Amino acid sequence: MPMQPDRFAIEEVVYRSCLALDAGDYKGYLALCDEGFRYTVTAHSPEIRKEMVWLDHDKAEMQLLFNNLPRHNSDHSPLARHAHVYTVEVAADGKSAAVVSTLQIYRTTLDGGATELFAIGRYLDTVSLEGNAARLAKRIVRLETRQFGFGYHVPF
Amino acid sequence: MSRNAEQWMLKPKFPQTHFVDSRIYTDESIFREEQQKVFNGSWIIGCHESELPGAFDYRTFTHPAGTPLILVRGEDQKVRAFYNVCPHRGNTLLYDPVGNAKRITCIFHQWSFDTKGNCVDITREQQGFQNRYCKADAGLREVRAEIGYGGFVWVNLDDNACTLKEYIGDALSMLEEYMSMPLEVFHYHKAVVHTNYKLWHDTNSEFYHDYLHYFNRVTGMMQPGYFDRKYTGYPNGHASVGSMTIKYDAYEGSKERGVGWPGLAPGGWILIDIFPAMTYNLRTSVLRMDTSIPLGPNKMLVEFRGLGLKSDTPEERAQRVRDHNTIWGPFGRNLHEDLLAVHGQGRAMQPGSEPHWVIQGREENMTIHDEGGMRHFYAEWSRRMEREAFDPHGDRNLATVA
Repeated sequence: MPMQPDRFAIEEVVYRSCLALDAGDYKGYLALCDEGFRYTVTAHSPEIRKEMVWLDHDKAEMQLLFNNLPRHNSDHSPLARHAHVYTVEVAADGKSAAVVSTLQIYRTTLDGGATELFAIGRYLDTVSLEGNAARLAKRIVRLETRQFGFGYHVPF
Repeated sequence: MSRNAEQWMLKPKFPQTHFVDSRIYTDESIFREEQQKVFNGSWIIGCHESELPGAFDYRTFTHPAGTPLILVRGEDQKVRAFYNVCPHRGNTLLYDPVGNAKRITCIFHQWSFDTKGNCVDITREQQGFQNRYCKADAGLREVRAEIGYGGFVWVNLDDNACTLKEYIGDALSMLEEYMSMPLEVFHYHKAVVHTNYKLWHDTNSEFYHDYLHYFNRVTGMMQPGYFDRKYTGYPNGHASVGSMTIKYDAYEGSKERGVGWPGLAPGGWILIDIFPAMTYNLRTSVLRMDTSIPLGPNKMLVEFRGLGLKSDTPEERAQRVRDHNTIWGPFGRNLHEDLLAVHGQGRAMQPGSEPHWVIQGREENMTIHDEGGMRHFYAEWSRRMEREAFDPHGDRNLATVA
């Protein structure tokens, strides 16, 4: 039975997902996701006049990505994801909500602690309201920023 | 045993072709000279023909020699290149990276040009210039442009340079059969990193750094045939690395590639470096093209393109995109590692930092961990620069150093 639509609970799953990734708490992040979770990063390239998909994973693939992180050489500067929920549109059947959030990501250097704006974009989420808690069913990270310097291994 | 200052500066016990002076990566004067002597007369990839699909489509490109260019397809379907500079007051003509312009009109004073570079309008021409200057005097500066080797649009700023075919020679022969069908760019992004462009090309010119990549260690280095791949050097500083078969499913979560490349063995991989800063990298289902553009001695921009076949079905294209993203996308396993490593080199070799030797001394019969690919590059670099990479300022006194 769908939970009663609760904007606070819907917003909180978005915000908790940011906090979990910021903390490197991948288990906690995946716990916020439905079993059918799909995570996609997209961007538009004006240069080639095309939509691009930069990452497209289901929940199991996200788990593998996180599991494999320690085997790779990565930049260890922490990221801070700042999302702000703009709109929440609950489906007519009350089972899900389409949530649009703006997203800013900041990177802070380990050496010296300088913070820079790393990327901006939006979370285009589908939040499942089935069961007893709001869960991320689908997340599209729609990036405006397409340059990340030497890059990063952990998804946004 | 650690070394003191004198020991640190001792010449490596290799031939002088097997190490370089770090100042070639850090000196402003060398960087400026490279723009003229290395890039000005080289054929450089400006874009791919699929980025200019229709008449009057244009693409802007900042040439590594520092010159802004317009690449535009004319009504006659020919792609031409011009300086993106108004001959009047030197303003940028086209500001956006892409567009469609039947007329190229400067926003400043509305001088206008066609896609053949003819000036077709000078506002209030007669009133201002009388008969002293006219449209025929104001054509755009055209730059040589040719399409080839996978449908890339190549440009050369030197009117007297050799042809593209002469420049490439046989260097791309190993790849040509795989690039005979029309290709299409599906991925494009840029990375700006504080490092020297040659360090990126060095990375693409040696595979010893597979130790950097967990993915390559398990899918490549630990697989049969890996150590048989051989470097081949070609005239003009180009080099290729022979094919091998990658075992993708050796990486947890990665699968054997379902979509290959026509004619290429399943899991095949061919890499060819084109002097001075481009790399063709055909790996199983995706052609990756790197074009690096120096922005300063310690700053470079790399353009990354991923290409598939123009004839791809949506399902085939989606698989190529996934294959590309796994290792080469902005969140891919390998790309971040490669960029992080050259960023680290840039950190360690800052302009003005104490010069030291950078070693390219591995010899393994020109197989995969031999550093001969880099040595081949620096032989051509030294020839063009009229400077030895191991002694760029002629002040090393190597003959007298133990």
